[in-house]
Amino acid sequence: MARGGGNRSRLLLVLLLVSSLFLITLDLRGVNLASSIRSGIATAFSPLESVASKIFSPIGNFTSDLKNFNQSKKKIEQLTKENDLLKSTQILDEDTVGQLSQLRNVLDLAGRGGYKVVAAKVINRGSSATFKQTITIDAGKSSGVDINMTVISDSGLVGVVKSVTSNSAIVLLMSDPTFKIGVRIAGTQSIGVVSGQGGSTYLLQLLDATGEIKKGDVLVARGSQNGKPFVPGVPVGTVTTVQSNASSITQNADVVGISNLEQIGVVAVVTSPPKNDPRDSLVPKPRPTVTIFVTPTPTPSPTK
Amino acid sequence: MSGLRVFYTSVFLFLVFIIQEVIIARINFPFNGFSLYLAVLMIVLALEDRTGSLVFGFTGGLIMDLSTSADTPFGQWALVMTIIGYLFSANRESIGDFTQSPFMLVLFTCAAVSLSLVIFLVIGLMLDQSNGGLFHNTGLILGNSLWTFLITPIFLPLIIRIRKLMLDNRERV
Repeated sequence: MARGGGNRSRLLLVLLLVSSLFLITLDLRGVNLASSIRSGIATAFSPLESVASKIFSPIGNFTSDLKNFNQSKKKIEQLTKENDLLKSTQILDEDTVGQLSQLRNVLDLAGRGGYKVVAAKVINRGSSATFKQTITIDAGKSSGVDINMTVISDSGLVGVVKSVTSNSAIVLLMSDPTFKIGVRIAGTQSIGVVSGQGGSTYLLQLLDATGEIKKGDVLVARGSQNGKPFVPGVPVGTVTTVQSNASSITQNADVVGISNLEQIGVVAVVTSPPKNDPRDSLVPKPRPTVTIFVTPTPTPSPTK
Repeated sequence: MSGLRVFYTSVFLFLVFIIQEVIIARINFPFNGFSLYLAVLMIVLALEDRTGSLVFGFTGGLIMDLSTSADTPFGQWALVMTIIGYLFSANRESIGDFTQSPFMLVLFTCAAVSLSLVIFLVIGLMLDQSNGGLFHNTGLILGNSLWTFLITPIFLPLIIRIRKLMLDNRERV
């Protein structure tokens, strides 16, 4: 390349680098350039996302089904049987029925906890290239949703509202590595912090070194002041492995999330905290086992 | 490079960005995710001349900064992509003409996608951002590269064709 061309390229490079650094500096200095532009983009995208959610929902489900292929096979067999039954009565849209069931359960959970909620549909997921684990929901400021509100599913915590537009909101999932929540072991006073690890497992750090954690312990949210960002009593996860380390100041444990974040279709945003702390009332109860005692009747002895 | 081509390419990249945000992002890929936008942008940068790599690196990064799920300062992706554009620009001669070797282009796209994510993380660290642990981020970058390698050959001919359409007559010759 000619010297002039090389100089021009160098000048262009410097110009572009300076422009980028200028934009970053503006943003870090608190000029709300990014938030207003992104908010505008989110508002413009939300109708598109709603349409895409309806059209492309089977594609998203297909890839998550691939992950659980073995389970899917069993499920297919089970569904085939159910399908025969359904054909004779009424053919229903499985997707709608699933979402309806999730909605019913999430409202049930919110009702038991005394939370005022706004139900919302998941319309998108955040791009992996942003290194953030987020979902987009179809409820925004117009529905009373605001930033730092707790988001729950039919079984427990999902995340917290990170940003909001007039008719959509972005929720930071609890699996995000930056996510942290104060928790209490249900049934005890032991408190700790649960952190996202980027997957379906989480890390619990118990603040009380003398406290006791055991496998199967259920963790509930401790709650924040005025219920923001976390309302109290929401189930967070279940302890799967206790990491015993004598030299550690805090006790650690692996936790599995109570909500399956890959398959949530309907969530609820808690717009108002409960008047009273629901304590452990939302902890999932084990299903009662039915024990049947059979007493054999004495068989008549053959008479001669 | 004409102003009209800058405009057309930017519009094309923005359309790909919409597809990424609205459709691709909702797919639960096993082993982390795939960014169609990053892959397309890398192909565009690889096919451009020195100035084109720089200009479209910057504009492509600015478009990425619009991502609604991003929590980073506006301009961070622009900075990352300008650096990537510079690397493409500086190594133009050694990179050669990738259009003659699609396999090499796919491999190079994967490497460039990974590099851009690494640079993004490094700049993020310098700006005191917390983007997760090393293990998680390594998995994310490897997953992204794997999917780029598998999916890019499907749409690569289309991108090359669209780019040819955007060239003006003089550039085509």
